Amino acid sequence: MAETSLSKSEVARGAPRALWARLTRFLRRSETARGYLLMSPTLLIMTIGIVVPFIILLVISLWTRQGFSFDTTLTLANYARAWNEPIYGALLARSFWISGVATIATVALCYPMAYYVAFHVHRNKMMWLILMTLPFWTSYLLRVFAWKVILGYEGVINSGLSAAGLIEAPLAFLLYSPSAVIITLAHAWAAFAILPLYVSLEKIDKSLLEAATDLGDGPAARFFRITLPLSMPGIIAASFLIFIPTTGDYITPALLGGPNGAMIGNLIQVQFGAVNNWPMGATLSIVLMLWIAALALVFLLVTRKVQERIT
Amino acid sequence: MDVLDQLGAVREGKLSRRKFTKGLLTAGVAMTTIPLPVRRAMAAEGDQATYFTWGGYDIPELFAPYIAKNGAPPNFAIFGGSEEALTKMRGGFVVDVSHPCNQSMPRWVQTGLFQPIDTSRVTNWGDVIPELVDLPGNDAEGDKVWMAPFDWGQTSVTYRTDLFELEGEESWDMLWDARYAGRLGSLASGGDAWWCGAIKAGVDFADIDSEEAFEKIAAVMREQRPLIRVYTDDTTTLEQALSAGEMVASMTWNSSAVLLQAEGIPVKFAKPKEGALTWVCGVMIHKDAPNLDRAYDVIDSLLSVETGHFMINDWGYGHSNRKSFDAFDEETLAGLGLSTQPVEILQAGHFQQPQTQEWETRMNELFEQIKAGF
Repeated sequence: MAETSLSKSEVARGAPRALWARLTRFLRRSETARGYLLMSPTLLIMTIGIVVPFIILLVISLWTRQGFSFDTTLTLANYARAWNEPIYGALLARSFWISGVATIATVALCYPMAYYVAFHVHRNKMMWLILMTLPFWTSYLLRVFAWKVILGYEGVINSGLSAAGLIEAPLAFLLYSPSAVIITLAHAWAAFAILPLYVSLEKIDKSLLEAATDLGDGPAARFFRITLPLSMPGIIAASFLIFIPTTGDYITPALLGGPNGAMIGNLIQVQFGAVNNWPMGATLSIVLMLWIAALALVFLLVTRKVQERIT
Repeated sequence: MDVLDQLGAVREGKLSRRKFTKGLLTAGVAMTTIPLPVRRAMAAEGDQATYFTWGGYDIPELFAPYIAKNGAPPNFAIFGGSEEALTKMRGGFVVDVSHPCNQSMPRWVQTGLFQPIDTSRVTNWGDVIPELVDLPGNDAEGDKVWMAPFDWGQTSVTYRTDLFELEGEESWDMLWDARYAGRLGSLASGGDAWWCGAIKAGVDFADIDSEEAFEKIAAVMREQRPLIRVYTDDTTTLEQALSAGEMVASMTWNSSAVLLQAEGIPVKFAKPKEGALTWVCGVMIHKDAPNLDRAYDVIDSLLSVETGHFMINDWGYGHSNRKSFDAFDEETLAGLGLSTQPVEILQAGHFQQPQTQEWETRMNELFEQIKAGF
């Protein structure tokens, strides 16, 4: 009896050490395991912060509302509604239209700025970049309100134009319209376009440009044959960085959009608020995600084809 | 001192004792000072009661007795419509006191999220106008009440007397006037707008929960939608638009008109021939109120004569404390659309009636669709 109990405690003491040795041996042998170990903090956060909430969202979207609580039988009824009722499709289409135009405008406006810093600024580049992104150090909400002041009925643009005698009555279409949302989004997300564009332009080998000039290309031809194709990764990255978050934007259309500028984000918000239909809100969020994923894929394929064509 | 240099020195065993203690000192000072403001802010938040209320009621002027007693105003959380507030609290948001109106009060009680008010703990209770307490659904549990009435008033049309050319009598038709398309405003919450639509459509509030009423009201709301510049629950937005002339008329509460008049802007709070929408709002205590004593302080402060003076004088709202009216003469009150006999006003208007949850949800869903253009 005494002997066995002794050996047991010895085993117990030795066990963790043996386990540890086994683990280190396993890690030394398997590169994959080492990789996962290094990634584990991120993986853990991703699981808790993204995978789990997404599953919850998915499950809720399959429920239905019943008074103030949920009917938990799984059904696709909400998805059928999202497909059949015109309001959801129309607001989705409007969201894609608004954020698509905003994305194009932002990239088109930021490209020259990034180009200038990448090719024509030789000293203190960092300072130039910081200065360009300086307005983005203030809160997003404040910038939206600032645009409300600029575009407003007695705002900067209207009072400027009427002081110059160009208009009789203030331009009412500036505020509370889809164009107000586009203008604001194009400004608010500029920092997300400038930085990727700058990085991709900066990487371009200057000797390629010299070679093109030596071989007889003018500035325009040189830009379209060398600079633009080589900066394509930056353009694609900037477009994604702006298009994806702005499609679901809530606060800009809520404050500046007016009745005709409402986007899908506003509709999702009222499902969780006044309308009190959480399952429908969850469904709309997932539908939005699927649409964005599909559009992003199409965009990626098209740009890849275009890039193959021009290079 | 570069952090990496320090780390390198540690690894090589070259870190001098002096440098080591210096490093420790820096870390220690940083650790103790950085979270200090955060901690203090949190402490202040925990001390005061939290009042969950309509946008605009988050001002210290309503809380003079509370501030005198507790040193600072309560914490505020803001909602734009009472349905939104209820959804948020059902989602787990705990406050001490919230601010529903008579029409939603029975449904709020049904959620089981609130506790009845022990009126013996409210010192101003004896002066409260009894008709305001005697609302449908407020009489459960003997001498206890669920909602302590605080403010009452009207939803009507505020219009610019210099810009809006009145045809005949003041009427709800003003907000459906196609001459001013794009220069009219509306409150965004169905709790106001839908009921005003019912008045415009000629639907009796007793029949508002019927298929026919839904169709009629939806039709007038759809007719109005292209004329509206913006639907918002932010009263400041509407007031600024009216003062700039961006809007010539808007659906507002009493306070917007009174505030604009005080600024010298020529506006009037219409007395529509069809009648305005009348409401009584009050305060309810959350069942898990973390600061119950201060919750009663909030209620006492809101029901005080001091607060009543401010409500009547600066905002033009009715107050629930009978004594608040004593300082005003009949003429001033009439100018504000009030009276020394508040019950008369309440009975003359269209008084919102409690509805079922199904009605509320259906109405909100439909109104949101209409606002989005469908």
